[in-house]
Amino acid sequence: MIRYAARRLIGAVPLILGIATLIFLILNIAPGDPASYLISPGMSQEVVERIRVDFGLDQPLHVRYLQWMAAVLTGDLGHSFSHGMPVAGVLLAALPPTLALSGIALALAFAAGVFLGVTQAVRQHSALDSTLTVLALFFYSMPSFWLALMLMLVFSYMAASVWQLPFWLPASGMVGPSHDSLSMMGRLGDRVAHLVLPVTTLTLVLTAGIARFVRGSMLEVIRQDFVRTARAKGLPEGSVIWRHALRNGLVPVVTLVGLYLPILFSGTVFIEEVFAWPGMGRAIVGAIQARDYPLVMGGALMFSALVVVGNLLADLLYAAVDPRVRRHE
Amino acid sequence: MRTLSTILLVLVAWGCGGDEAPRAEPGALAFCETAQANVAAFIGEALSRHPTPADERFGGTAVVGNIAELISGMNAAITSDYLSLQYQQFVNLMTLVRYDADLTPLPYLARSWDIDQDTTRLTFHLRDDVYWHDGERTDAHDVAFTYALVTDPDTNFPNPSFFDFYGRGENGMRVVDDFTVSVDLRPHAELLDPWRALPILPEHLLGDVPPEDIAAHPYGSRCPVGNGPFVFVEHRAQDRWVFEANPAFPQELGGRPFLDRLVHRVIPEQATLLAELLTGGLDVYIDVPTDQADQLVDGGARLDRFTSRQLEYVAWNGRRPLFSDPRVRRALTLATNRQELVESTLGGYGRIAQSTIPPFHWAYSQGRAGEDLFDPELAGRLLDESGWSDRDGDGVRENAEGEPLSFTLTYNTGNQRRQDIAEIMQAQLGRVGIEIRTESVEPASLAARLFDPDARDYDAVIFGWITEFRMDDRDLLHSERGTGPFALSGTANPELDRLLDTLPLVVDRAEARPLWNEYQRVQGEEHPYTFLFFPERLTGISPRMMGVETDVRGEWINVRGWWVDPRRR
Repeated sequence: MIRYAARRLIGAVPLILGIATLIFLILNIAPGDPASYLISPGMSQEVVERIRVDFGLDQPLHVRYLQWMAAVLTGDLGHSFSHGMPVAGVLLAALPPTLALSGIALALAFAAGVFLGVTQAVRQHSALDSTLTVLALFFYSMPSFWLALMLMLVFSYMAASVWQLPFWLPASGMVGPSHDSLSMMGRLGDRVAHLVLPVTTLTLVLTAGIARFVRGSMLEVIRQDFVRTARAKGLPEGSVIWRHALRNGLVPVVTLVGLYLPILFSGTVFIEEVFAWPGMGRAIVGAIQARDYPLVMGGALMFSALVVVGNLLADLLYAAVDPRVRRHE
Repeated sequence: MRTLSTILLVLVAWGCGGDEAPRAEPGALAFCETAQANVAAFIGEALSRHPTPADERFGGTAVVGNIAELISGMNAAITSDYLSLQYQQFVNLMTLVRYDADLTPLPYLARSWDIDQDTTRLTFHLRDDVYWHDGERTDAHDVAFTYALVTDPDTNFPNPSFFDFYGRGENGMRVVDDFTVSVDLRPHAELLDPWRALPILPEHLLGDVPPEDIAAHPYGSRCPVGNGPFVFVEHRAQDRWVFEANPAFPQELGGRPFLDRLVHRVIPEQATLLAELLTGGLDVYIDVPTDQADQLVDGGARLDRFTSRQLEYVAWNGRRPLFSDPRVRRALTLATNRQELVESTLGGYGRIAQSTIPPFHWAYSQGRAGEDLFDPELAGRLLDESGWSDRDGDGVRENAEGEPLSFTLTYNTGNQRRQDIAEIMQAQLGRVGIEIRTESVEPASLAARLFDPDARDYDAVIFGWITEFRMDDRDLLHSERGTGPFALSGTANPELDRLLDTLPLVVDRAEARPLWNEYQRVQGEEHPYTFLFFPERLTGISPRMMGVETDVRGEWINVRGWWVDPRRR
């Protein structure tokens, strides 16, 4: 197992370096250079040249590439001029909001998805199964930004302005304007209220996919002999399903965890945009709008590295739960 | 169950804990800690010295929202974006002068100024009752420092042309005494204009920062210390800026603002901004898109509007034979129904442009003779005169050599308004026998094709620029700047050149006005561009907000006088 893990880990290094190279090339070979966005009428040629020098654009491509790689390898992602601080600092500051949002949504989605998937598998072809299938497909195929806007329309705008309810959910942000002056419980309530809409949106979209997946996987498992044996032993039905069948049904779901893990870090750009959630997705989109190239490159690199790590973790987890993977090595 | 309890634990921890300051370099952290401690001490003490007057307008928080972050923060030395400059000018920092609604300079940080007989020396007399929010007094050294900083090429100040006519080094700004500075200059038009757009920075905090490091300094976005009506409290990147009232703001300038707090929120999605405004989460919504105007008013909010400085135009590449004849260029304008463009692409929220001079400007000539409005018949006659007529009856005009009057109209991908303009113009000009192909180009590639003097690879392009209050169109229209990036039309007209050379040097507005009229007439004859419109800028204001006034100077001009209806706080 350790040898397997070590081999996979070493394999990830060239992959990340390759990705870093690709990111550099894509951003630097694309037409127009960062300086061209910063020039405006009234600027002298001298100033334009100076901006180019500041960006290092007077150097040939391979020199810039080597400089960037050398800096990246020493952990220096450069300086974000739109934030006035190091890129790594910006990304680290944007990480907690994203982790909170997507962590809670992922946990809820897996809990709900597994429960719904198993329920559907057990009652295959029942009215409940069909209803849940339709619902799952409905949310699965819904663009997340549209769902976000609809939830906002109903629970924020309609609740406040049309139905004039005494309580409605805040449409955006992580905390309200008077957050700092609230009591401790008030602050917690403020944060939770701001979490509800984005978490609900993300959870609905994720749950649908997970439920579909678990349903399929469980359907295969409950037809197998060991499940019949368990029933024949006289185990109660709940124990057969939730203890014996589910354990085996969940093995392929681990792959899904690997696929979803990057969401934890990259955030979901659309949901963060709609709800003005100041996380990683916002940081990168903001950087693109502000032409903050060091931050765009640093962010892209960090995302890619996290995707690689996420997949690696899933593979290791897979090996841990399924002995066959290790044996085939 | 375990998952749920973990979530709860995380939540509780998160709800109780403040947000950790982002991990930072030790130097920056130390700078910010000291600065913020000094600000807290001074403001706390100022609060006890200046108790809030008993007036119901004092108190409350106003939340302003826009899609954009203040990308330059409060760092005036590197600011090129509108929002950051607005907050610097009117909220956190101060300029020497400010404009009234007619763009006439008024005293602000400068109590008064003198200009000597032959307009070669400008002297500012500063107020002595303005304090930085950490307690240091704002004085002549701050002004001289700021001037030296922005005129140092290592700073990369984005508007170096502000000070083209002002001296450097020994002739640069001198401290006469603690509250007097003077600077040498060559006589020129609108000479006070740069001083209303240059917020003064604190010398005692930034004086030892090398100019090349100023852009990356933590002062800008992490711990600015201003001297304006609002004190910086907090900035969460891509989320919000929080300011609070400055109790020590000079009484003569109006004293402390009515608001206790002013929050700027960054909300990237316009639908969310609207929802927040209508549910009370937002008090002022900056730059409302025209298609939300009706919903906003139906939802009970107020709509404020003013003509912006943003000019939308079509540049005809006069270097190409097709556009070398001014009659053809004028015909293209006459065949374009710009009112229809304003109606359909701006929902009517815009003013037709007749020249580079915006309609709110003092130099704008009212009802200028020969204004070209929509007149397809005259367009047809002009085209006939210049040799373009439909010789083969296919609906498209040809010249004597049989070449069709046909060209490509380019715009940048992702700009829906320009795409609409291109398609509408295609239909409108098609009716007078002009064939247009529209082309959408990715912005970076388009910039390379437009601005590179060796490329200039376009027939006609829909583009825009922001006009300054001190207008200087030389980059756009002067023949000597033909190789510069912005000479999109390739214009070479001696009469225009003469006016463009003269206008920047005329000090007196009364003297300049006839020249500006002349300039607009010649622009009309030369017709290098088809100027489309100046869009209006819309502001949504919640019913509880009072005192918000906006005009072309910006949305925050009167922020000191904003107040929240006490019954709806």
